[in-house]
Amino acid sequence: MKCTRCRAEAAVALPSHHSAFCPECFLLFCRRMVERAIHDHAMCTSEDRVLVALSGGKDSLSLAWLLKELGYTIAGLHIDLGIPGASPVARRITESFCSRHGIPLSVLEMEPLGLGMVEVRQRIRRPICSVCGQTKRYFFNRFALDNGFTVLATGHNLDDETSRLLANLLRWDTAFLADQGPVLSAQEGFVRKIKPLYRLSEFETANLSFLLGIETASAPCPYSAKATFPVYKALLADLEDRQPGRKLQFYEGFLKHGRQHFAAQGKTPLSFCRRCGSPTSTEICGVCRLREMMGAPAEVMIAISSPAVLRTQDVSGSAEKE
Amino acid sequence: MITVFFEPEGTSISLPRCTTVLQLLHQTGRKPGRALVIRNGELLTPDRRLTPGDSIILRDVGSRG
Ligand code: SF4
Ligand SMILES: [Zn+2]
Ligand SMILES: [Zn+2]
Repeated sequence: MKCTRCRAEAAVALPSHHSAFCPECFLLFCRRMVERAIHDHAMCTSEDRVLVALSGGKDSLSLAWLLKELGYTIAGLHIDLGIPGASPVARRITESFCSRHGIPLSVLEMEPLGLGMVEVRQRIRRPICSVCGQTKRYFFNRFALDNGFTVLATGHNLDDETSRLLANLLRWDTAFLADQGPVLSAQEGFVRKIKPLYRLSEFETANLSFLLGIETASAPCPYSAKATFPVYKALLADLEDRQPGRKLQFYEGFLKHGRQHFAAQGKTPLSFCRRCGSPTSTEICGVCRLREMMGAPAEVMIAISSPAVLRTQDVSGSAEKE
Repeated sequence: MITVFFEPEGTSISLPRCTTVLQLLHQTGRKPGRALVIRNGELLTPDRRLTPGDSIILRDVGSRG
């Protein structure tokens, strides 16, 4: 199979795009897909300071690389969840990737905040992934706002987005459908959130991360068996086999024709948490309630940038912040 | 004989009769577009030919984010 663009030996076949690419042209293809996503949805400009949420996985690290390549001003935040086995590996991969590519990185540790996920899992009754996800979203948002970032970028890919869309549609979950899309605009207490990889499939980001030499974690999160939407991902993958290009059409079609009908519905009016000031639909936000339940000391409730828990790494190596 | 190393499982098998990447994917129960096929650090498309003695990494594209 020859590269559609330059006729060299192809490395990646993409039936969804009726194309195949050699490594160099595939990198160019990925850049163009992200450029188009950013442009079509006015995600960010060169004026923005973009915080990239870095889990240590292939998608978020590839995203950081692409945004840097495209000339945006970026920095990464990694949240160390304190899960033995998985967290140290994810953190090491993130730190070495950022230092290799000159991406400023901060690491926020959950354990000193009383939110190490092993302890949290022992104490709560809700599924751990839902609590963990909520906690991560909270700290990414808080960190961005507290440190002058105008945009928070996450590595959600086309498979993440379409499986979530299908799940929400099958439940007719109007509130979630109203909010689903590659951009969530800034509101009081919320930084703008963008998903520049939404046009790239999981297969495409896997190829990209291989070509970028991103190490794959040998120790996945032990709780990941309970992660969401695998059924819908599998259904959509089967559909994509029969109808190449269907996933992207489904998602773009929703953005163009579907989403507007849900936009006015299901919005809960927001107030602000009495403890930390973050937006919430209740008096005290979910993360502050969790911290109270975990017996986290009150004085660190809002001290998310305390030097004990936040480390920044400069380009040349690692240095303690302040 | 082709040796296949599965990622992320960390297991391996040998396939006696397998001459293309597509056959390798079928014989291991995979589909194109769901797994990376890697030989000597190079990505292979489904039409590529394999030679006896090849050592292949088959990396499933999971949702490890
Ligand atoms: S699998 Fe669940 S618990 Fe583990 S990191 Fe992901 S969201 Fe958190
Ligand atoms: Zn090419
Ligand atoms: Zn709060």
